[in-house]
This record gives sequence, structure tokens and C-alpha cells, in this order.
Amino acid sequence: MDRNQLVKWLESPAKMGHKYSLHAVYFCTGCGIIEVPPSITARWDAERFGVLPSASPRHANLFLITGYVSVKTLRAIIQTYDQMPEPKYAVGFGSCPINGGMYWDSYNTIKHLDKYIPIDGWIAGCMPRPEAIFVAVTHLWTLIDKDMADGYKRYRKHYAAYRANQEKALPGLDWPPLFPLEGSE
Amino acid sequence: MRDMGTLLEQLTSTFDGVRARLDDDGRMRLEAEKESVMSLLSFLRDSGFDFLQMVSCVDWIDRGSMELVYVLSSYPSTDGGSGDLLYCILKVELPRDRARTVSVIPLYECAEPYEREIHELFGVDFHGHPRLTPLLLEREYPVPPFRKDFDTRKYVSDFFDSIPPVEEEGGAQ
Repeated sequence: MDRNQLVKWLESPAKMGHKYSLHAVYFCTGCGIIEVPPSITARWDAERFGVLPSASPRHANLFLITGYVSVKTLRAIIQTYDQMPEPKYAVGFGSCPINGGMYWDSYNTIKHLDKYIPIDGWIAGCMPRPEAIFVAVTHLWTLIDKDMADGYKRYRKHYAAYRANQEKALPGLDWPPLFPLEGSE
Repeated sequence: MRDMGTLLEQLTSTFDGVRARLDDDGRMRLEAEKESVMSLLSFLRDSGFDFLQMVSCVDWIDRGSMELVYVLSSYPSTDGGSGDLLYCILKVELPRDRARTVSVIPLYECAEPYEREIHELFGVDFHGHPRLTPLLLEREYPVPPFRKDFDTRKYVSDFFDSIPPVEEEGGAQ
């Protein structure tokens, strides 16, 4: 353990625990998932950073969205994000979740993912290299340290707006709201 | 292996309005009317084309027609062990405004997902299909989205751009 961080560990052990055990959901969408196997195996070894793939969203706190999001995938993404325990961090990977990327005029691809779920950070590029994942992870550490990775708090606060957007994109959203809609904005 | 030349003669003599020709590489190309699809396909199936590889659809908006493309081949074992594949492409044109035809599921059961997909994306109606429910799409579209007159950019600006960003004051972004 880094001695310089001893104070941080004593001040907020939970935060440091979240920081160094980012468990990513096994969720494959689009082509970016092809970068994840080399990242978690020996060549780049994500476990150096405490990033582990986790089989269930209920055991995970990092959500990498690894490519273009079709309307059908959006349903699964919202369900997965709702199932993850807090604190949870969502990172958009590649240019397609940011603004549609090369699918900017597609009839079935979600253009701005942050209209539907809160995103804590973006990794730009098509495709980003595995190194970019680790740059993002270390950046996410800084954000967690400064309490700026607050996507899950924003989700609670603005849940009514997020839910309204989700219902617009997916007619017949067949599960009840995660949080009470009256209290949020 | 069956001689493709005799099969071709048999086809043209049996069925009216079938235009058939043989490519250099031994593939057969057929064009037929939509009324004769079932009888033609059952004839082809009995003469060795026992596998429907895929059903595809092309929207010829200038001609005002939708073209269904059936790609047939044979399992090698039915060729008496020669191992050569038989290939056949059957094209059927439908009028674009009344795009409906009969389902070929009674002959080739594997046509079910293809016909379902074509129904969803091109709006072709298959009579006799057991379930023409949505397969890939989650939303209703004004026109089936693979038709040429579906304006994707207009749809994107009408729908995706109309969803407002979530207002966030003091967020991390």
C-alpha cells in the first residue's frame, strides 16, 4: 500500500475501497467489447488497477458501455444499470455512445446515451486502445476522490427526467420506476 | 449429381413464365411470378435443392416493386457423395404497394425468421406465417425502415433530437 495514501484510507475507507475494487459488468454491446478481453487478461492485466469483470450486475460497480447502443440494447442497459448497487459508475466507451459516431443517421441507434442514464466519463475514440481504459480508470479514481463521480446521485435527483426520456425511447417500459417520481426533478 | 441442363429444360417446360439461365459456375438463376412460387419451390426441393440458405429482399423503388430472393442449395450428402453443391437463386417480384405473398414455411421451415424479419423491415406480408410479431425493432416506425422511402435523417432529427438532455446543474460533466 502506498504510504502517502494512509490518511485517505483512514479518513474514508469506504471510498478507497470503491476506488480500488472497480468490478465491471460483463455487458457486451457493439464492437468495443473486443478490447476488453486483452484488457482483463495477461497482456494488459486490468487487475493491476483493481478492475475485475463481474458476472452479475448486482456485484458490480463499474458499467462500461462498449459501443453503439441500439434501442433494444438500451432496454437492457437501463435494466442493468438499475440493478447495480450504489455507488455505481458508468463509462461510455468509444464514440458511438457519445453522439452516435458513425451511426449518427441510423434509425435504430441511440445517439446520446447520457439522455437515458447518467454517465460519469467518456472514453473517446474508434476504437480506444486498452490503455485508454486504464487512463479512464485512473481518471475515475481522481473523480471518486473528489466526489465528482456522482452519476448515481444525479440519477436519483433527476430520476423523473431520465425516466421520461427512457419512456420516450422505449414505448411500453414494462417495469415500475426505480425511485419515487414525485421527489425527483 | 443431377445434370443442371436437363433440370433447366424440365423447369422451363413445366412452368410457364419462368425465366431461367445457368451461370458459368453452374449456378442456376430463376425469375418467376409470385403465383408459382410454391409449386416451383416444391419442385426444386424434390430435385435436390433441399436447403433454403436464406430469403432476402430488395426494394426497387424506381420499378415500384419488391423483390424477394430465395437462395437454395443442397446438402452435399444428397448428391450421391460427389460433394458438389447445387446452387439456385430464385427471384420473385411483388408490387410495392401491395407487397404480400405466401409463406414458404410448409416447404422450408427455416424460412420463418427470414420472413419475420422481412415483414418487419420491408413490410412484406407473408400469408400463412404463424407469428409476424416484431423481431428486432422496439419501436413503431412510420414506414418499415429498410424501404427506400424511409428518410432516416428526418427520422433521426424528428425523434432522437426531440428527446431533451437532462438538465444538470452543478454536475461533474
